[in-house]
Amino acid sequence: MATQRPERFDQVNWEEVAGAGRFSLSTNAKGLLVTTIPLLALAAYDWLVLDERTPTFEPVGLNVDVPILDYMFAFTLLLFAFYVVLPLYQHPRLTKYYWREFRRNRPAVVSLVWLGVVFVLGLVGPLLITSPEQNVLHSYQPPVYLSVNAANAATCAGEVVDGMCFGTWQYPLGTTRAGKGVFAMLVNGFGITLKIGFISTFIAVVLGASVGTVSAYAGGWVDEILMRYVDIQGSWPTLIMYLLIIYTFGGRLWLLILLLGTFSWEGMARYVRSKALSISEEEYIKAINMSGASAFRVVRRHVVPNSASSIITDITLLIPGFLLAEAQLSFLGLGDTSVDSWGQIIAGGRDALAFAPWIVLAPGLVLFLTILAFNFVGDALLDALNPEAAAEAER
Amino acid sequence: MTDEPLLEVNDLEKHYPIRKGLLNRQVGAARAVDGISFEIERGETLGLVGESGCGKSTAATSVVRLEDPTGGEVVFNGGGRAGATRNEGGTHPNDVTRFDKTELKAFRRDVQMVFQDPSSSFDPRMSVGSSVAEMLLVHGMTDRHRRRAIVEDLLERVGLSAEDYDRYPHEFSGGQKQRIALARALVLNPELVVADEPVSALDVSIKAEILGLIEDLQAEFGLSLLFISHDMSVISEVCDRVAVMYLGEIVEIGDTEEIFADPQHPYTEALLSSIPEPDPRAKREHIELTGTVPDPVNPPSGCRFHTRCHKVVQPEGLNLEQSVWQALITLRYRVASDEIDVEKIRENAGAEDAVKAEIRTEFDLPQQLSDPEAERTLDRALERLAADDSEGAAEVLNAEFVTPCEETHPEYTDHGDGHVSACIRHREEVRSEAFADD
Repeated sequence: MATQRPERFDQVNWEEVAGAGRFSLSTNAKGLLVTTIPLLALAAYDWLVLDERTPTFEPVGLNVDVPILDYMFAFTLLLFAFYVVLPLYQHPRLTKYYWREFRRNRPAVVSLVWLGVVFVLGLVGPLLITSPEQNVLHSYQPPVYLSVNAANAATCAGEVVDGMCFGTWQYPLGTTRAGKGVFAMLVNGFGITLKIGFISTFIAVVLGASVGTVSAYAGGWVDEILMRYVDIQGSWPTLIMYLLIIYTFGGRLWLLILLLGTFSWEGMARYVRSKALSISEEEYIKAINMSGASAFRVVRRHVVPNSASSIITDITLLIPGFLLAEAQLSFLGLGDTSVDSWGQIIAGGRDALAFAPWIVLAPGLVLFLTILAFNFVGDALLDALNPEAAAEAER
Repeated sequence: MTDEPLLEVNDLEKHYPIRKGLLNRQVGAARAVDGISFEIERGETLGLVGESGCGKSTAATSVVRLEDPTGGEVVFNGGGRAGATRNEGGTHPNDVTRFDKTELKAFRRDVQMVFQDPSSSFDPRMSVGSSVAEMLLVHGMTDRHRRRAIVEDLLERVGLSAEDYDRYPHEFSGGQKQRIALARALVLNPELVVADEPVSALDVSIKAEILGLIEDLQAEFGLSLLFISHDMSVISEVCDRVAVMYLGEIVEIGDTEEIFADPQHPYTEALLSSIPEPDPRAKREHIELTGTVPDPVNPPSGCRFHTRCHKVVQPEGLNLEQSVWQALITLRYRVASDEIDVEKIRENAGAEDAVKAEIRTEFDLPQQLSDPEAERTLDRALERLAADDSEGAAEVLNAEFVTPCEETHPEYTDHGDGHVSACIRHREEVRSEAFADD
């Protein structure tokens, strides 16, 4: 029996096992692959077969177009699902431990709920509520239950009592000068925020983590060149470059996202490099080297996951930076005016601040809360994701 | 089975280059391991003992090729490589330092390692079971259930339970983690396990448990062990043979009992005298090793231990008390490296004579040496020292107080039964001169 299926370490015939097929994909990699291939196929079809003006799903009778940004967004979502969410499910014990640690920080739990709302609204909202159309007749409608002087609104959609125009449920958060509902714009803004957050962060993490680990692992002149480049990029006047590029190519959202992601990873690279250097001195790395594992495996399975606390903490600082940068550029009139990002709504409402403050206040408040939430969550994650430090502290 | 040893280490060297300047030119080398040789028989435990900084751990990592040695050879005859003979060019086909990638990977299954610090020897983000099972995966066992079955069985063998597979390192105590580390070392079914201070970080009671476990496992699976420790009492418990290392060299090697009963090298004597004696009435000479291990970048000439040796040999014609002679040697090296702060002594003492007296007291030297010739030399040196001429003082001392130990590098002397030590006192002519009236 034992010879049929040896389950003791000293009964393994290594000559046989070591010769067996070595290439095997993890569940996560398989999942990502299986879902990414159709996505790529659709993108290729959209790009190669259909001409630019035909909406992607027209051949099946739907008038839905998928812009290039959405492909990237979908891919980063898949990555998030298979390499952040799925591992949490696969390792319930560690997840519970992290959650116990995270839960201690009350504001962070509230913040996480808010970020959850942002995520769900950003994903589902734009599908349910389409971007509002202009309606000049309904400009400057007040939010529901509030009232403004009827002279300010073109025609009042709700009741007019004593010369005061009251808001209606048609426009829960009022309207802009063009008569677009602020609530509908805001919901679409969640989607834009999500795209900025996910795609820019993805670019920054991939670049930063790769440069950081390669730098730490290769050492020597490779390290020298990469880190000096990081120094140069860090001291580069990025804002002026943004202005130049946006001036030349126009303020497209995808361009902004690309720029934000590509020129913000210096900090990440430095963090990851120093973390990887300290990790590679640990005895468990020696033990893994002792197993004869390849350098790629060591980096992929041990160095990068253990740098995760640095990476994730840095992400929680990066995303607020991206959101603010987008808002600021929009406010300066350098954003993409064709999308309803929060920054665009604020920029559009700034002239009417005196008599229609809701246009600026609603997205401003949401932006503020989101950035605050990221900071709280980042703080709690930093504590939760460091089991060693916590275990040492308890002793 | 042939009677060749499982592991044969010949003149192993590991020098770390020291680079300086703009062009990274090599200006020297730290000789962490400088030509050590030993053998390990099948089923045997060899202890490698020495102070921290003497190169034990470097020796271990060089033997298993976690670091590439800079010289010498490591012949490993296990894992179906038995009975190989040397090639024509003198190289050995089983020389680990010449293994290519495939051979090295197979070698990793035959030799494994246990590390010192249980708190950092597991990936904190991986369950301990997966950490152990990863070894199997790396070597091509793709069947997840089989990996799990093997590891669960092994965890039970090292005194844990199968449910511990899914637990994380922070949930275990140091002793438990060291058990898991043993499981990880065993899971590939190696023939040789290199244990680098496996119990140094543990409490006394747990230390005994782990040592017991190591012995049980060794007996059950016929393992050979290279056991590294700075603790002579641990060595005496587990090792069949001991190699004593000092500053990159092996100064004495032999059977444990033999070495403990009759140490030949003064350094071994010093190490042995550091074992706490349970009997308070037992009178034993306590030898205190002063100072730290010298810098391996610039090791002392001749016998490397002579700067700290309590039996350092006196030159011909000199016959001082041994402790005085040792103090003279210490004084000489301190003066030579300009470490004596005469200014400060003068502040406290005042007059020149008082300064000289103060220096004598500081180095435990009597105010008058028994040998008049030596006394004159010492006085001359101290005078110069008091006059702030430390170079002159060093010159005087270097010319007169020279020990034969620094002039000749000691050869190994065989004391029978594989007990070998390297001390020049064992050479006939030295023995007759210096110990004539012992």
